[in-house]
Amino acid sequence: MRRTIALTLSSTRDLLSGNNEMGNVALSRVLNILTGLLFNILGFGVLIGIWYGVSILTDNALPTPVATFAVLWEMIKDPFYDYGPNDKGIGLQLASSIVRVFTGFTLGAVFAIPMGLLIGASSFCKKMFYPIIQVLKPVSPLAWFPIGLVVFESAGIATIFIIFITSLWPTLINTAFGVASIPQDHKNVAKAFGFSTWKYLTKVLLPYSFPHIITGLRLSIGVAWLVIVAGEMLSGGLGIGFFVWDSWNALSLEKVISAILIIGIVGLLLDKGFSWIEKKVTYES
Amino acid sequence: MISIQNIEISFNTPRGKFTAVKDINLDIAQGEIVSIIGHSGCGKSTILNAISGMLFPTKGKVLLNNSEVKGPGPDRGIVFQNYSLLPWLTVEENVYQAVDAALAGKPTSEKHELVAKYLRMVNLWEHREKYPKQISGGMKQRTAIARAFAIDPSVLLLDEPFGALDALTKGSLHIELLKMWNLTQQSKTIVMVTHDIEEAIFLSDRIVVMNNGPAATIREIEEVNLPRPRNKKEIVNLEEYKIIRERLLNLLMDKVEIDEKDFYKEKAA
Repeated sequence: MRRTIALTLSSTRDLLSGNNEMGNVALSRVLNILTGLLFNILGFGVLIGIWYGVSILTDNALPTPVATFAVLWEMIKDPFYDYGPNDKGIGLQLASSIVRVFTGFTLGAVFAIPMGLLIGASSFCKKMFYPIIQVLKPVSPLAWFPIGLVVFESAGIATIFIIFITSLWPTLINTAFGVASIPQDHKNVAKAFGFSTWKYLTKVLLPYSFPHIITGLRLSIGVAWLVIVAGEMLSGGLGIGFFVWDSWNALSLEKVISAILIIGIVGLLLDKGFSWIEKKVTYES
Repeated sequence: MISIQNIEISFNTPRGKFTAVKDINLDIAQGEIVSIIGHSGCGKSTILNAISGMLFPTKGKVLLNNSEVKGPGPDRGIVFQNYSLLPWLTVEENVYQAVDAALAGKPTSEKHELVAKYLRMVNLWEHREKYPKQISGGMKQRTAIARAFAIDPSVLLLDEPFGALDALTKGSLHIELLKMWNLTQQSKTIVMVTHDIEEAIFLSDRIVVMNNGPAATIREIEEVNLPRPRNKKEIVNLEEYKIIRERLLNLLMDKVEIDEKDFYKEKAA
């Protein structure tokens, strides 16, 4: 196996030494991706090896990778089955969680962005609201759950509420930071040429803060995705968090681990998506 | 015309009051080009900011066409030291947004025509779609100059406009600036802050030499009676040019000479 890889590497290198320069660039890019992939596979290989070791040591109390992947395959083969309220496919569970996360996250952004702009732009607002932010930010999301239950009288809405309240802070703080760090040069231009408030807002303040806001949103969606699992464990019903808890109660650790893998991959995709937007909106000065 | 009347500008700092400049009196006629020259930190830019209205004098006042300066206005165009273009706007948009803000009453089509006219004047029309990061420092500063001229101000304020540019680019931008000044019938007053003696002589009618700060004052005002149009290569051979250059060097460089004498003394010993 290793020898074949080495062989392919060396033959690719031979190709690289050819004269076709455009082809060379494309080839070396492909080569880079391939070696990157190779390292990724190596890393996961180590992880699976350790996992296997622990399975053997615990006498299969922790299911082996093989057993787990078999269950995972069963799960993703038919993701959208629906056999009543307590037995739904992983796709439906995931969809329900994603809808909940995006609802809470969007509500959070709608509140956090204007609030961040305000706090960043006015030292008065900063003095007034910053202490509140500092006190509320470190509170564990689950601590908000009872309050959500009392106010909204619904576990589903309470889950959205805790997503909302925990995904607020990164966006709020990043937006405020972005606005507060607008360089004096840009402000001077606006002042010297007599920009109206509207022009200042749309041509200076928002374009400058936009990348900061997107960074905040990226961090927020990450937090929201972290919180949803815990939230749904409390709220029950439907969702990937509930699925983890339900599988644990049914003593199916294979399902729990499969769910963990799925949660991780979805989290990664969300992060990649926002990173992509982040790159799109970042300008160079 | 501009009349600076006995101004003093101080700032409140954590360590108490800091006076940047004081006892500044200066009258500048319409169409005159005046340079303010001095060492770093002598308050050159502070005076410029008082004319632009970005700063208010602690004492005294600045009159512009007989009315007191109470803030920035479209009658003054500013070219900043570090170009100060907005990086998310194209060259054309950078100029347009300034024109749109400063000349808010004019119809849109007329504003676009103005932008086109001035971008052509600085030879940037072909590059109008580019963003600041895609053009050179010289082109950035030409954009900034076009932006300042495009609002058709009666006064242009230039804060070390060519300081960050290499000598060749600097030279061509000097010509560019004078070209713009000629195209507007030499009617615009230009006040420029610089620390470049040759640049000051080449461009100015008068050169204001500052003392070192803090609490800097005007040390001397030199008249530059070189005929216009000036040719960079030719004026350096004129007797008048040499005299002015020598005088300015003496006013600004006395410290350096003392150091050198000490150096030679040490060597001899």
